[in-house]
Amino acid sequence: MSPPVLKLSGVSVGPVQTPILQDIELELEAGHFLGIVGPNGAGKSTLLSVIAGLIEPAKGSIELFGQPLRRLNRRQLLQQIGFLSQLHDDLPKLPVSVRHVVTMGAAGYASPLWRRPAAQEDIVWAMEQVDIAGLADRDFRQLSGGQRQRVRLAKSLVSRPRLLLLDEPSAALDAPAQDRLYRLLRHLCDENGMAIIMVEHDIAAITGHVDSVACLNRRIHCHAMKGEQIPEDIWHAMYGEHMHVIAHDTRCIGCVSEPPASSTAHRH
Amino acid sequence: MTDLISHFLASEVMRSALVPSLLIAITTASISVMILAHRLSFLVVGVSHASLAGLGLAVVLALPLLPTVTATALAVAWLLIPSTTGNLRLNNDAGTGLLFAGAMALGIVLLSTTNRYQVDLFGWLFGNILTISHGDVVWLYVAAAAVLGSLLLAARAWWAIAFDATAAAASGIPVSSYRFVLHGVVALAVILCVKLAGIVLTTGLMVLPAACAWFWGRSLGTLWAISLGFSLGGTLVGLLVSYAYNWPSGATVVLALCILFVLSATGAWLRQSGMRRRQRA
Repeated sequence: MSPPVLKLSGVSVGPVQTPILQDIELELEAGHFLGIVGPNGAGKSTLLSVIAGLIEPAKGSIELFGQPLRRLNRRQLLQQIGFLSQLHDDLPKLPVSVRHVVTMGAAGYASPLWRRPAAQEDIVWAMEQVDIAGLADRDFRQLSGGQRQRVRLAKSLVSRPRLLLLDEPSAALDAPAQDRLYRLLRHLCDENGMAIIMVEHDIAAITGHVDSVACLNRRIHCHAMKGEQIPEDIWHAMYGEHMHVIAHDTRCIGCVSEPPASSTAHRH
Repeated sequence: MTDLISHFLASEVMRSALVPSLLIAITTASISVMILAHRLSFLVVGVSHASLAGLGLAVVLALPLLPTVTATALAVAWLLIPSTTGNLRLNNDAGTGLLFAGAMALGIVLLSTTNRYQVDLFGWLFGNILTISHGDVVWLYVAAAAVLGSLLLAARAWWAIAFDATAAAASGIPVSSYRFVLHGVVALAVILCVKLAGIVLTTGLMVLPAACAWFWGRSLGTLWAISLGFSLGGTLVGLLVSYAYNWPSGATVVLALCILFVLSATGAWLRQSGMRRRQRA
């Protein structure tokens, strides 16, 4: 049996008195699509940063692809991870084409200039996945927010990672583009065996696509698989008493198991 | 024009200045792309002005000039890493401004305490490639080789960090180490430039070539090539004009680059306007 793609054991981040993350236990198999939800400041982005090797945990251990993450194997392991950080406005105004931005995500890009940075077919594949092949020669600076986000996603895919970490990937995307994105991610899990961890703000949007949902607020309160129900008190612990769960779809993870026939609205 | 070029090439002083000037042009064109990408223009101002402290130390303590100035420039460039990466509680530019003003003041005070004016202070401030010595030429070759060699090895990593440092770190690139080396390389290039353009005008040589290319390049390679073209063109034209009118060489080269920048920006604006008109039609 192949080892899990990711295993976090007792991971804590921040001071002992006021931890940002506390005793995180998480295991992810190849092909699994995990959605992480939680209120603002719950530590969702921090958790992704810890897995991506950007933040050193104060306690606990991280195993990637069956190997403990250490200083010596850090680069080799991290090259098998694709990471899409939150979209922010202060992206530098570098004069680069879309193709060049996507190439920057290749594992061999940072090699000396006389080496080839990436295989052409990987670049084309990544651009086709997010439907930006037609923008290949466009100036990245002149793209819309949604187009930029798709280019950044292609950049995180180009090395065909075994683990993909996405921090609010649907930011700046309109509703149809969001739906296409989630379908693409589902396809990458099912066809390519990619494991994906996705942090999203809109809980309702992801539950129909992911295999499981982890409810995070400093620690993981609940990790619900498809078909499992997240108890109401967990939602209250995370979002407060005003939170009400109304199901609209049987595929919804964490909702009540039998949705009322008349219910079409969905708001968590 | 042909007469001017043949006179220029016949002049021994200009001939001896030509190769070092072109070497400086190649080096600055290459590193200037990274300076713009990492927004290090003000670091160049800071390091070049702070090198006056190195000059003061070398004169007062009777230390070898170039190694002392280089060591000072390196120290200042590395001290300013938190300032250029936004890890300082002050505004990013405030840290650089404070350090460069302090270091320059130290240099002036040190130089005022000694009557030993063996150094050509005017040459250090405004540059004079025509008085370059054999020892300086050797130093130029070594420093240029270090700058160009490190670019061959690390240019792509620096480019990826400039585009998205978080993503670069997540892909396993040791961002802090690369930034440390980049700051060191920029400091070396600054000292390389001081001979041609002086402390005051070095920023022009190190920023303008890439600034001219910024309107036209769409990848690291094309930016580098266009920047090199502008840098070599500006240097050759500047040296020729400075020879013809007996103007200071460094200032004339920087002026030529400034004119090229205006032409490049105007050309880019015209092209953009033409494209917009065609789209509307």
